[in-house]
Amino acid sequence: MESATQQRCLDCALRPDRVFCDLPTNVLAALDTVKSTIICPRNMVLFREGQPAKGVFVLCEGRAKLSVCSESGKRLTLHIAVPGEVLGLSAALSGGPYEVSAELLDNAQVAMVKRKDLLGFLREHREACLHVVDLLSQDLHIAYDRVRSVGLGRTRRARATSL
Amino acid sequence: MLSPYGLDIIESCLTCKMRADRIFCDLPTTALQSFEAIKYATAYPKGAVLFVEGQAPRGIFVLCKGRVKLSICATDGKTLILKIAEPGEVLGLSATVSGKPYELTAETIDPCQVNFVKREDFLRFLKDNSDACFKVAEQLSDKYNNACHEVRSLGLSHSASEKLAKLLLEWSSKNGEAAKQEPRVKLALTHEEIAQMIGTSRETVTRLFADLKKRQIVQAKGSTLVIRNKMALKALATNN
Repeated sequence: MESATQQRCLDCALRPDRVFCDLPTNVLAALDTVKSTIICPRNMVLFREGQPAKGVFVLCEGRAKLSVCSESGKRLTLHIAVPGEVLGLSAALSGGPYEVSAELLDNAQVAMVKRKDLLGFLREHREACLHVVDLLSQDLHIAYDRVRSVGLGRTRRARATSL
Repeated sequence: MLSPYGLDIIESCLTCKMRADRIFCDLPTTALQSFEAIKYATAYPKGAVLFVEGQAPRGIFVLCKGRVKLSICATDGKTLILKIAEPGEVLGLSATVSGKPYELTAETIDPCQVNFVKREDFLRFLKDNSDACFKVAEQLSDKYNNACHEVRSLGLSHSASEKLAKLLLEWSSKNGEAAKQEPRVKLALTHEEIAQMIGTSRETVTRLFADLKKRQIVQAKGSTLVIRNKMALKALATNN
């Protein structure tokens, strides 16, 4: 299968459709210098809940399952991430451990940016920082929706249909 | 300036003595000056609703003084308290940034001072101030962490007693009580509100507290709860 994503973000045809990647050329060129592109097999765990945050993983191709786990090993899926999402963002920014585990559901292409490089990149490029704020807001909406469905047994969609 | 609710209102962020300790407020002087120009310092009594879940976002509310209850509600009236926000937190942030409706309802549980900033002004402020943008990202990260914690607690705890034990341990780890043999917890919430924090009924919370007291795991001293047997509470929290 031919891929529309590329090793270099500057050459990627899909970036206008992706919140994080739709950046001005000079910012993308800077991103290209701090990221490393990796091809990962299905079922690979990108990071585990509780691990210190090493960096972020931009999902270029493939999907990833984000889940939380109890002490007894019981697992709850929080979200299925799709291409264009940035995984591990909040932990990388706060410097705390990853809040969730991320496991690939497909063979995937992932761009990894180390925490230190990400922080430097965001401080240098305000546009990228604004995109990150947008992404975090979206992540938070998803998480609150999950809280709602787990805690009250409903989702926004369910509520809308009940009106 | 004194307000009708007995609050000493801090009019200017530039002269606020507490800003160094607060994630969002600890901004460079130039950014703070820009913030000063767009914010409205307001005071609310206890029980005031700042915004309601589902409402279109008007802007952000920086909590300067007092505490705010953040909750979600089902159509049948069942309420779940997600968090008690403390001074320094920015409320309504993700909705204001994304333009989607407020995800939560925010209600003051003390008289509060709140700095309100309109959505358009706030988005412009973020575009012009990278330091503020970074602080907002940090706040959102913190809120995401809290939401994941909530999902874990609600979705993966086996019983109400496990959830209550986790909540008490969480509260007891604050205010320098963590290292103490018998930490103290100031119970600022009613049994009804505690029930709404762990997704159970008021009756269950009352029964669980009675059981914890009977087993001498906790002891009530007025509105303060002393955790007499931390190990037993930890065992309950881990469902052992």
